[in-house]
Amino acid sequence: MIKVRNIVRIVILLGVLLLVFVSGCMPGMDGGGGCSGGQAQGWSSFAPYNQVICFGSMEGSVIALSPQARSEGKTFPAENEWVYVMKAATPGSACGAMCAPSTSASGKGIYATPVVVGDLVYTGTYSGKVYALNANRGVVRWIYPREGFETVGAIVGDVITDGKVLYFGSANGKVYALDADTGDFVWEFQTSDKIWTAPALDNGIIYTGNYGGNVYAIAADTGKEVWSIKIPSAVASSIAVKDQLIYFGTFDRNLYAVNKADGTVKWKYLAGNWFWAMPVVRDNTIYASCLDKKVYAFQADSGNELWQFAGDGQMVGTPAVTDKYVYAVSEKGTLYKLDRSDGKMVNSISVGYTVYGSPYADGDMVYIYARDHKVYAVDTLKNTISWNFSSALK
Amino acid sequence: MVDIWNVAILDPVMNGLIALSQLLWGNFGLAIIVLTIVVRIVLMPLTFRQTKSTKAMQELQPKMQELQKKYARDQKKLQQEMMRLYKEAGINPLGCMWPLLIQMPIWIALYQSIMQALAATPENLLLLSQHLYPWDMVDQAIPLNENFLGLRLSQPDPTLILAILVGLTMWVQQKMVTPPATDPRQQQMSSMTTMMMPLMFAFFTLSFPSGLALYWVVSNIIGIIIQYIVGNGWGYFNFPSFRRPQPQAQSATQKAAEQPSKALKEGDKKKELK
Repeated sequence: MIKVRNIVRIVILLGVLLLVFVSGCMPGMDGGGGCSGGQAQGWSSFAPYNQVICFGSMEGSVIALSPQARSEGKTFPAENEWVYVMKAATPGSACGAMCAPSTSASGKGIYATPVVVGDLVYTGTYSGKVYALNANRGVVRWIYPREGFETVGAIVGDVITDGKVLYFGSANGKVYALDADTGDFVWEFQTSDKIWTAPALDNGIIYTGNYGGNVYAIAADTGKEVWSIKIPSAVASSIAVKDQLIYFGTFDRNLYAVNKADGTVKWKYLAGNWFWAMPVVRDNTIYASCLDKKVYAFQADSGNELWQFAGDGQMVGTPAVTDKYVYAVSEKGTLYKLDRSDGKMVNSISVGYTVYGSPYADGDMVYIYARDHKVYAVDTLKNTISWNFSSALK
Repeated sequence: MVDIWNVAILDPVMNGLIALSQLLWGNFGLAIIVLTIVVRIVLMPLTFRQTKSTKAMQELQPKMQELQKKYARDQKKLQQEMMRLYKEAGINPLGCMWPLLIQMPIWIALYQSIMQALAATPENLLLLSQHLYPWDMVDQAIPLNENFLGLRLSQPDPTLILAILVGLTMWVQQKMVTPPATDPRQQQMSSMTTMMMPLMFAFFTLSFPSGLALYWVVSNIIGIIIQYIVGNGWGYFNFPSFRRPQPQAQSATQKAAEQPSKALKEGDKKKELK
């Protein structure tokens, strides 16, 4: 009998070990095949200025990269290039890889794509801070909240600015307005739930959605609510504005078009999964990537579907739209060059690694930041990878 | 392999949990408790079999001890005789393992479900999107509220309360079914292993999301209740203050129910003989 009891205990022990190893290291758990279990690593895209492209790295740095210097194989940093390394964030708990990191202020990743105005680069971090860096040298102009103050909660969406005031949403459910020049607090607006998306600014009104299924219109100068609506599900994507409508995706797999004047729903489109990325509006067309592995094009005012294209994996990032083409990247790392008029594929190329971030297109060159910590420059004319750059700097 | 795991185990558990939480006023903690009860109800036939098997094995203990004495120097023969005894009594000695084995995939699935369903990071949320059924109930529940009774279900409990509860309930459950051994060495080993598992799980609770620890606590409490009902009381677990002197004469049924006192007496007899 003792032996049987021992067998039982050995089985339990093996089970627990299995629990630890299998659950943490299940392939596909983190998109990278490793044991990081969905840790917050970020997926910033690129902001162009002065012949450089600027992005937030998975290591928690802001990097300004010169495509020309990279294509010439120069040592980093070359002229105009710089890196700003942020202070390591304090982990939210002592549970290591076995539990999810705190939503408030842990993780070093940067999800927000930097925004450049004048000589300043602005970005928000998952550790709950906003940085204003000198665009030429990469040194700090200001940080919000100030040294010694609590962080504001994870910033996942982009920060936006009209040049004078900076606006962003935070996981603590607040929308903040800061003086863009000094980083001084201007106002805050408390919503009902977590905000993981970027607000949109149009005609003096800030539009934002939260995980409570609320969409708000807020006066940009005072921070007072203009209107709010409740929809059946949480808002999944950042909001895009065009003419009289705002557009966003939700967790009930719909893409919504809502009248910006009063918040009434104009049209919605049900897809196979979430419209996670911010849609792009060009002329009278909405281009939206979806986690059902498709890219859609709709008539902006009516919601009529113009075309759809199915890729090999979830379309996580916002597509890059140029005059002729739509560039979309699947999470499997395949870049698709689609004809903007009919959605037909012109060509495709794989970078060979998972991609969550949005592509950035500059002419025929498309830049992608993959989960192997590398920036890939793809020449879509030759359909080749011109160069790559690892953000894991020594 | 991963696809089979996801389709057969992880996705049903995760979507079930999320749909349950939507039914239970968006409360994910209540959903975990209800799921635990459902799992235990589904496993009830196996649990009853395990409990009956344990009880039957306890009743065979005097005969086992005789065999152990008789074949002390012939381990092979002892094993053969023990198996024969089990067979005659209609007991499968490995039968008690099934509820544990079956619960293991559920633990793993539950751990992954909690990690992914609560989606503490944007990456988690993305992974979650690959596992969700296209049900309105599920769509509307996402993202889930992770707060329950002051706990953040995706994080370990920093107060140690859950760790103590997990350890204590597991220890009580084990004590209820573990008869004291006659041999002092075996007794020492037995009490060490009885302590080891609760301590290990209490230690794991410090590292795992408290949602999983909640499952363990509720599961243990249900296990104790089942054991109490099927085993006619607290079994081999003795509250120090409730210990009573054992009567001299015992009926056959009392013998089975009060095995610890008999075992202790036999141990005393051995000492006297020495």
